[in-house]
Amino acid sequence: MKNNISTIGRLSTWLIVLLIITLLSGGLIAHPMPNSVVLLRVNQDHIHVELQLPLSELQAAIGKSVNDSSAGLTERLGPELRAYLLAHVRSKTLDGRPWRVTVGALAVHETKNTINGTYRELTAQLQLIPPAGTDVRHFNFDYDVILHQVVTHKILVSVSEDWAAGQLKEQTPVQVGVIVLDIVNNRILPLAVNLESGNIWKGFVAMVRLGKEHIAEGTDHLLFLLVLLLPAPLLHTRKRWASFGGVKYSLSRLLWIVTAFTIGHSLTLLLGAFGWVKLPGQPIEILIALSIMVSAIHAVRPLFPGKETWIAAGFGLIHGLAFANTLANLSLDTGRMALNILGFNIGIELMQLAIIAVTIPWLILLSRTPYYTYLRNTGAIFAGLAAVAWTAERVTGQANSWTAIVERIADYAPYGLGVLALLAIVFTLKTRLIREG
Amino acid sequence: MEAILKAGWGLILFTIFTLGCSSSDSEVTPDTGDTGSTSSSITAALVTTTSSNTSCSASTGVAKVVCLAEAFKATLSSSQVSTTQLTYSKANAQKWSNLPAGLSGRIGIDLGSLSDTQLAAFRDLMVALLDVSTSNEGYDEMLGNLVADDYLNTVGGGSDYGAGEYYLSFLGTPSTTGLWEILFTGHHYTQPYTFNAGKLAGVTPAFRGVEPASAVTANSKTYQPFEQERVTFAAMLTGLSTTEQATAKLSSTYSDILLGPGKDASFPTAKSGLQVGTLTAAKQALVLDAIKLYVNDLDATSATAILNMYTSELANTYVSYSGTTAVSTQNDYVRIDGPNVWIEFSYQGGVIVRNTPHPHSVWRDRTGDYGGN
Repeated sequence: MKNNISTIGRLSTWLIVLLIITLLSGGLIAHPMPNSVVLLRVNQDHIHVELQLPLSELQAAIGKSVNDSSAGLTERLGPELRAYLLAHVRSKTLDGRPWRVTVGALAVHETKNTINGTYRELTAQLQLIPPAGTDVRHFNFDYDVILHQVVTHKILVSVSEDWAAGQLKEQTPVQVGVIVLDIVNNRILPLAVNLESGNIWKGFVAMVRLGKEHIAEGTDHLLFLLVLLLPAPLLHTRKRWASFGGVKYSLSRLLWIVTAFTIGHSLTLLLGAFGWVKLPGQPIEILIALSIMVSAIHAVRPLFPGKETWIAAGFGLIHGLAFANTLANLSLDTGRMALNILGFNIGIELMQLAIIAVTIPWLILLSRTPYYTYLRNTGAIFAGLAAVAWTAERVTGQANSWTAIVERIADYAPYGLGVLALLAIVFTLKTRLIREG
Repeated sequence: MEAILKAGWGLILFTIFTLGCSSSDSEVTPDTGDTGSTSSSITAALVTTTSSNTSCSASTGVAKVVCLAEAFKATLSSSQVSTTQLTYSKANAQKWSNLPAGLSGRIGIDLGSLSDTQLAAFRDLMVALLDVSTSNEGYDEMLGNLVADDYLNTVGGGSDYGAGEYYLSFLGTPSTTGLWEILFTGHHYTQPYTFNAGKLAGVTPAFRGVEPASAVTANSKTYQPFEQERVTFAAMLTGLSTTEQATAKLSSTYSDILLGPGKDASFPTAKSGLQVGTLTAAKQALVLDAIKLYVNDLDATSATAILNMYTSELANTYVSYSGTTAVSTQNDYVRIDGPNVWIEFSYQGGVIVRNTPHPHSVWRDRTGDYGGN
């Protein structure tokens, strides 16, 4: 969902996070020279490591003008840089046996922070693999890239993702240590990494939480569902929405719609998360915006009366693909993918049910009053406008002020619920008074 | 009209400067030509070194400092006094940095909030604490630092930079009996004075640096406050024989000083480099010349006492360096490490003025940092 935007959002979150790490470490008092950053992604049987090495400091350590002429650096010096990293990144079991280290992709980026201004860095993706049968969560990290030569350099080591400890990529990395020269004794000590014990339950719970957050923050998914439910309590003719169809009728229609949506998105979530179906994010995002538009129109005038279940299932398929993209971005262990999908889906369902549970009673109450038409049309028009804004944003790839307004209004949703409840009570009493009077 | 002219000149100077930067790479020896020009009302108010204070002239030593500190406080409003007058604690004394105050918060009152009268009282205090007779040393070095920061403000540094972003605080009440400290700290300049029982107990850790390393003109005067230090270190190193240089040379690279802010009580156990006692008297004098450029920033009485100690320990003091002996290239580094004295000088990459090195330097004392506290 919101793929482009959330990518940008995530990038800027990362920048902020990195900045905070940079500022907090060393108590924000020194270091005008940029630090190295080491991010550990803890998997079941190995650790993926991303290194971020400032080129100015790397040049001071190894020469070769890596900073002065950084264009084409990885093509020019790839093998040398990989050999250099292998010589200075060593991971060992607690009893001293070496882990296997491999160096993957290298890239040069320009980055920026308040203290250092703009500078270039080399990023490197490494795999640290412990000897068979040894623990991935406890090891001595014997790391002195740059620092072996540039003794004023500083290396910040953080865990960016640790599924078994319930820490997902979307959260702030947790610093586990700083590698610096021990000035007093003029030596560089390995960093002892001791991660809290992890288990499948923690990872599963984290995925449930992620699913819940995803729906709570996913204004577009929610809006789609709520707008689709708006006319659900009503009877209909071929061209118009009519009066309230009774509690049993309403609940049964709600149940069908929600179940159909769930089946639809669960199916594509499963297919997408395992990589069996892969569609680019942008068209999916556009289709989601259009799905809101369609259900908004339907809430004003019945487009597909009685067929909401099928519509919900169909659009569910599309929404599921967006959920799957989120999971794919998490780069989780494939071995645990089924558990992740289950957790994520349960989170999504719990949040959906919670929102339906607190909304639907008021909608049913209101739908028994003559004022429901206004609410239904107002809600539908708002959703329609939001859908237009999202479509425009997702087609052009550029944020517009409408979507910002929609998101801001969504922040007030809990108050909106209060207003809805109040309206439901007031109008119900009023209607009853009129009838009795 | 004047503003337009000024802006025009600024633009031209900045263009010349940028062109100058792009043609040179990491190897830049600052020339004596002006980099740029900048003046603020603060540096203008501080440019004269003639004290306007008459009431304290009868006293000497710590009593005079106490008198001038009280005179400064007397010019402040009560809320300004409570900002300036803090309690003495090691934690407060450690609130210095080599970053601008905007990026690493300082305590005390900022010069930017002081009126001309208050600035004059500040100046009267500082001219009593610092040497006023030498250009780009002592008081003049401090003022040159403020000028350079004003310059950074105008060439892209923004509001985190400038003479107004330097802070003065009194930690503990000024007295001729108790423990208290004057802490003056801003971006590239920190100078503490710790007093205890009527005596000066310590003047370190003192941080010195400047960006740009080249000259800046303000108030019709040219400042290049840290160029003497660089030149003197180069003279000290190039004065050594090839064998001596080899002994003094460190194998590691230093892109900054080791014992910057936050690195208190972290002196290396083992000394590295060349022992000064093995050198000829002339070469020993070159080492002492470098030490003097730090110690003699202080008023003559304080400087003499400290310099006597460092001179007596000179034979057991070590010099070392990394990079080149010309001290003109990025990551050139010099260290003087004695029984007490610790001086580091790092010629490091530019931050606001990119691709142009600038110096960072710290003067510490193995026993006298924070007055021994």
